Amino acid sequence: MSARDPLRKPDAEDGERPRRRYELDDRGFDEVPPRYRRFYRRWEGPRDTLAPNEALCPVCKVVVRSTRELRPGDRLYCMACMSRLVVVSGAGGRLEAQVVY
Amino acid sequence: MSEELLDLHQLEPARFFEQVHSFEFWFEAVEGYLHGLEYGHRRETPEAELSAAERDRLITVLCNYCVGETAALEGAGGLVQIAPNRATKIFLSTQTVDEGRHLEVLVHRLRELGVADPELEIATRATPALLEFKRRLLALVRERDWLAALFAQNVILEAMEFTVFQAHARSADPRTREVLQGIVKDERRHMGFGENELGRRLAAEPGAAQRLAAIRHELDPLVFGSFRDTLARIGGRREEGADLAEHYRAAVARLGFA
Repeated sequence: MSARDPLRKPDAEDGERPRRRYELDDRGFDEVPPRYRRFYRRWEGPRDTLAPNEALCPVCKVVVRSTRELRPGDRLYCMACMSRLVVVSGAGGRLEAQVVY
Repeated sequence: MSEELLDLHQLEPARFFEQVHSFEFWFEAVEGYLHGLEYGHRRETPEAELSAAERDRLITVLCNYCVGETAALEGAGGLVQIAPNRATKIFLSTQTVDEGRHLEVLVHRLRELGVADPELEIATRATPALLEFKRRLLALVRERDWLAALFAQNVILEAMEFTVFQAHARSADPRTREVLQGIVKDERRHMGFGENELGRRLAAEPGAAQRLAAIRHELDPLVFGSFRDTLARIGGRREEGADLAEHYRAAVARLGFA
């Protein structure tokens, strides 16, 4: 599967609903350089609900955030553990991130 | 710089990896959570009142953390010599610095707890299984077996430390908690580097998976046993022992040699 970058795609592709956009705020994630902190937040455990623009890094369990609603095939980076991820449709259609080596 | 250019997920993979393996990235990352700390904790963080038994258990646990961190320090330093490219060598040099810092703050914590001779105390209280793991890890480094040594150090050892330190931090006294939380933030990079580097190598050399599975079979009991013992000493819940195994097994499963 080729990874897509949500920020280089038009908002609405053929037949697709336009993606919602998100303003990212700094949630205090201090493990990456300040200019990248808004792309991450700590995971609060199993009861933590992920927003449509968020995915859980399977390697280090940090929440990775995008400025757009995520879709299968999107590429994400977890800077905290230096992993490249791809968004996939998991069990029950829930979006999940998988590591790409 | 425009908002568009600042979007991390826009980077090409090669640019991303070049950036996160650099000393520049490391400086900015650690500055965020180490600034203002002295030996891993804030100066004003109070020393908890521990009973003699609690203090003794904590000293034993910290002594074994020191053994693990010494293995990681010597291992990471040795891995620099056999790393396959410059970016990897540079990353491992940042990891070596991290491991040296971990050892220093843990030894300092032992002194804060009243241990007059940490070297002697570590030698006295070290778990034989962990010492054996250290011996095996350093042998793999000396044999210049990049894949096996990286697996032992950055997947087995780092995954265990990541889980155990997180679990311990939840119940630890305030100073020990801050020290461990800072170490866990470093471990995230080490663990991720190990899994990703191994994943890339195994994709190019699938036959190596079988060899690593055999090494895993040999080394797992040494580290698992030692850290389970640690969890028991710190009063870890039964589920945390399961978490320890789960986190590590998930990494191994992703790498394809569960």
